[in-house]
Amino acid sequence: MTRPFLSIRAVRKTFGAFVAVHDVTIDVPKGEFLTFLGPSGSGKSTTLYAIAGFQDPSSGDVLLEDRSLLSVPSHKRNIGMVFQRYTLFPHLSVAENVAFPLRVRRRSDGEVKRKVADMLALVRLENFADRFPGALSGGQQQRVALARALAYDPPILLMDEPLSALDKKLRQEIQAEIRRIHRETGVTILYVTHDQEEALHLSDRIALFREGRIEQIGTGEDLYLRPASEFVAGFIGNSNFLPAEHLQTTGGASTIRLADGSIVTGVKTTTSFGQGQKVRLMVRPEAFRLTPGPANAALAVEIVDTAFFGDRRRVVARLAGGDEIDVRPTSDAEGADSAIASGQRIFFDPASAFLFPA
Amino acid sequence: MQGSSFRRSSIAGLPAGSGSALPALLLVGLFFIVPVVALLLRSVTDPEPGLQNYAALFGSGTYVRVFLNTFLVASVVTAVTIVVAFPVAWMLAIMPPALGSIVFGIIILSMWTNLLTRTYAWMVLLQRTGVINRALMALGIIHEPLPLINNLAGVTIGMVYIMLPFMILPLVGTLRAIDPMTLRAAALCGASPFEAFRRILLPLSLPGIAAGGLMVFVMSLGYFVTPALLGGTSNMMLAEMIAQTVQSLLNWGLGSAAAFVLLVVTMALYAIQLRLVGASRAGGGI
Repeated sequence: MTRPFLSIRAVRKTFGAFVAVHDVTIDVPKGEFLTFLGPSGSGKSTTLYAIAGFQDPSSGDVLLEDRSLLSVPSHKRNIGMVFQRYTLFPHLSVAENVAFPLRVRRRSDGEVKRKVADMLALVRLENFADRFPGALSGGQQQRVALARALAYDPPILLMDEPLSALDKKLRQEIQAEIRRIHRETGVTILYVTHDQEEALHLSDRIALFREGRIEQIGTGEDLYLRPASEFVAGFIGNSNFLPAEHLQTTGGASTIRLADGSIVTGVKTTTSFGQGQKVRLMVRPEAFRLTPGPANAALAVEIVDTAFFGDRRRVVARLAGGDEIDVRPTSDAEGADSAIASGQRIFFDPASAFLFPA
Repeated sequence: MQGSSFRRSSIAGLPAGSGSALPALLLVGLFFIVPVVALLLRSVTDPEPGLQNYAALFGSGTYVRVFLNTFLVASVVTAVTIVVAFPVAWMLAIMPPALGSIVFGIIILSMWTNLLTRTYAWMVLLQRTGVINRALMALGIIHEPLPLINNLAGVTIGMVYIMLPFMILPLVGTLRAIDPMTLRAAALCGASPFEAFRRILLPLSLPGIAAGGLMVFVMSLGYFVTPALLGGTSNMMLAEMIAQTVQSLLNWGLGSAAAFVLLVVTMALYAIQLRLVGASRAGGGI
């Protein structure tokens, strides 16, 4: 592909002295499911609104197939959007809500009817055509909103935290629906959420926002397994951070000293640290093992608490220095019980741990 | 709307504390119901028993014209008030609350100012040598003074001004209940601002328009001061006719009949509105 399908170029948005979005640049290929993930106020919704045309960026450009969208008013952008709040038209039936974008486009009655039927089938609400929004559950309303946003075959679908008002079980159900609909329609989706699990579940790529900038953009695996910063590591998945001192690095493997004096060798690192530099060691909870492993990455601990969750255990362990760590070994790990009982040392694979500057 | 739900609950069983409503009910009973009944009796007994007052009322071209003119003025005033009030109500509905309450205060303040004072002020503004005509002529926009007073234009201007708060208040309530996001959704769906207004905002604000519109229409039907001062002799309204019949002609029977007809029309309109509002609620649409 020579040119990107959707190109967000150095988009910047300021509100007075406050910079909400700092020169964000992203290229989105056609058909991609890209999620803007980040805490509230990180600029992800503002970036989405610039694409929707609700808030013009202070500078930068948004190009769809090489044409700038900025001079195009919202109603002519031909973009689909599902909002955080329920925005169905309360005086129109489900079918008329889905038909609305087609009616304002003056499509023939026959086409409207056919398309509405297709769309309601897509979101599996065929039997609800004559209901009014007030008689639908939140999940159903968002599915109708999805049908309405896709009825006119927009090239891009924007979704602004569409599931945040729903309870957890319903959220998971609708996530599966959104995945299926993305597969079936091939529409390019830009999705905003603050829920990392939702982002990991849905997206082809995730752009992690922090204070108006993109901290890292990549697949869920990139962000989880190869976090670019401590912020990414802390935001995606659960992480333990332990203060340490960098001793030396050879061939991408570092040796560090933890606060309790123990030495860990073979920690993978991509950054270069000076000798004696303060660093933070990040280890995922599931990277710990209770059963004996290599001695170059062992921590002397005291087991504080254990809990059983079926597929996993959760163990809270305290290091000699007082830091507590979260350990989640799989529950069927052999000898786990006795290890918990005697609980003196836990082990981890240093190649799956990371070093970040303190 | 609140009134109707209150009434429903009081029919089902007297709500707690309804005893304290007694003075007001007595007042209304003594000084509204009793006189209305007296009025009705007078219209069929004065000067002699029979329906001759009503026959005179509906048989005379003059009186029928006054009736028609009353409805015309009330309709025009209501329509113009809706058109003028809507943008103000929408602005109030989407304004930041702090600023909104200031604008709201200004609107309420105008209601507290004496009606007669305001109407006389309009006379000064609207007359041939009034401020408006002189300003327009000085600016060279017109060369002859516009006939702004003693006609339908004068009555409409004066009454719309007085009626605006009664339209704005119910409309703001309805518009505030509409999520502005709904309109953004409509825009992204491809609706131009006009289409979004026609297909979304207007239908959703109909209950407020109906409530305010009826209030304004009914109040306009019986208005006396403003039409009398700003209107002309050729477009007399019912209230003025009643006053003349009773005060100048001392024809109490005919005046009572006219007043009673006005009351019946008003009640009928109110009943229709209750029905419409009730129906739209039962449909669950809004």
